[in-house]
Amino acid sequence: MIGDGPGSMIDNFALALTHGLLLIAAWRLINRPDLDQEDPPEKDKRPSGFGAQKNGADWDA
Amino acid sequence: MRDLVFVGYLAALLFIAFKRPFLFALVYAYVDIVAPQRLSYFMLNSVPISMIVFGLAFLGYLFADDKKDSRFSIQQGLMVILLIHCFYTTVEAAVPEAAWVKWNWVWKAMIFAIFLPLTLRTKLRIEALALFMVLCAGTLIISGGIKTLAGGGGYGVLVMQLSVNDGLFEGSTISMVAIAIIPLIIWLSKFGTIFPPDWRVRLFAGGFIFACLLIPIGTQARTGLVCIAVLFVLLLRFNKHRFLYAGAAITLGLMSIPFLPQSFTDRMQTLENIEADESASTRLAVWGWTIDYVKENPLGGGFDVFLINKIKYELSEFDRKQYEKWDIDPDDVDAGVVEDKARAFHSSYFEILGEQGFPGLFLWLFIHVGGVWRMEILRRKYKNTQKQEELWVAPLALALQNTGIIYLVGALFVGIAYQPFVYMLIAMQIGLVTYMARRSAEAKWRPIAKNLSNAAPKIDTIENKV
Repeated sequence: MIGDGPGSMIDNFALALTHGLLLIAAWRLINRPDLDQEDPPEKDKRPSGFGAQKNGADWDA
Repeated sequence: MRDLVFVGYLAALLFIAFKRPFLFALVYAYVDIVAPQRLSYFMLNSVPISMIVFGLAFLGYLFADDKKDSRFSIQQGLMVILLIHCFYTTVEAAVPEAAWVKWNWVWKAMIFAIFLPLTLRTKLRIEALALFMVLCAGTLIISGGIKTLAGGGGYGVLVMQLSVNDGLFEGSTISMVAIAIIPLIIWLSKFGTIFPPDWRVRLFAGGFIFACLLIPIGTQARTGLVCIAVLFVLLLRFNKHRFLYAGAAITLGLMSIPFLPQSFTDRMQTLENIEADESASTRLAVWGWTIDYVKENPLGGGFDVFLINKIKYELSEFDRKQYEKWDIDPDDVDAGVVEDKARAFHSSYFEILGEQGFPGLFLWLFIHVGGVWRMEILRRKYKNTQKQEELWVAPLALALQNTGIIYLVGALFVGIAYQPFVYMLIAMQIGLVTYMARRSAEAKWRPIAKNLSNAAPKIDTIENKV
């Protein structure tokens, strides 16, 4: 099923390269708190929803 | 030895994943795309590894993840309906044995694609999924790219990791996937935070994209060439220097022709002369058969229904000339009409139509074309965003849209209607849409609410007075 010779050397190189990067990625991911929990988004500058158009900019004041 | 390395590697990934259960979903994607159980000789082959990892991913979500942010979208609902419909056609299948074999992998791909968006609750998770999918496909693509460069390859000859002809290991499929992920690679190299953009990331991305472009040459799959053309047009769409870019790309393309193997240029020339190609006439005949079949069986014949087809088609002009060269009378009935049976669909559209009938085709189109459409809406909404934290959204929507379009074009000529990799891309689209819908709702502030909360004490005082 799996080739031998130079072909298999290239296969192994590609395997090692991508698998190495995947492992580094996984390691970096578990040390990132924002993987599971993010800060709330920046609030919109302009208000929206019912009443927003009528009073618009006044709410910033 | 190789087996021990694989077992050790998988054990390491799973061990890491226990710290953050979302990683189980990524490990499942890895197992599904790279198929380490098939690359190893004996140890992993005997264990139902993908089932175990899926179980872990599901349990991880169930017990360790925050579910209040999970959203269920219309596309997921459509996939559920398609899955139920597929089950029905499998029960009623025209070729039950073959249908159950295909069902056994299709349902897993669809269930995972339905489940995956529920876990994509943060930007980093979406990025991580993109990175894992691209790197996993890279295991095949980088190997295939280097082999092509070294002079290997040929239609049905280029072996990437595994000498089988199914899943991503099949030439036309990997050609389509290799081209389709290029927009994602570009996005990751610009907006990635796991591997933030620097010279190493750019170098790797450049080499990776080059390998992707080499895959259609190595596999000599004509679909790949069509996909490259589509990608080229799509990348022109929002390019500021489009004329410069188009000129450079065309020059590069023309310059590369002398370096392409003769067999590749010969094969690609059959694209110009469709008559010269027997596979084109068989395709047309199979598609005709499919349309006739669903007229009588509008609900479809179940998976692999093509096995019952018997098709006849006339020799093309090109073939007739060839016969004349061989001193065979082309009007001789036996030579003039070719009979064939159990010819595959060679098109996802006809595959889904024949197998799942009209309901299946409509659902499938809603899922895939709908995904492309949703990405367009998202892109337009966020293209002029002023928020620093949202700058990545429109480019990712565009990348996923381009990926979806390349798939829809490639799928015209390849039967990959249920390709698990593509369903993971759909899951990413859904995840992005539901995530941004939630974030955008959280970012809103509504004066009416403020108004009411200001008004509340007044009402209270009035009530007190009464």
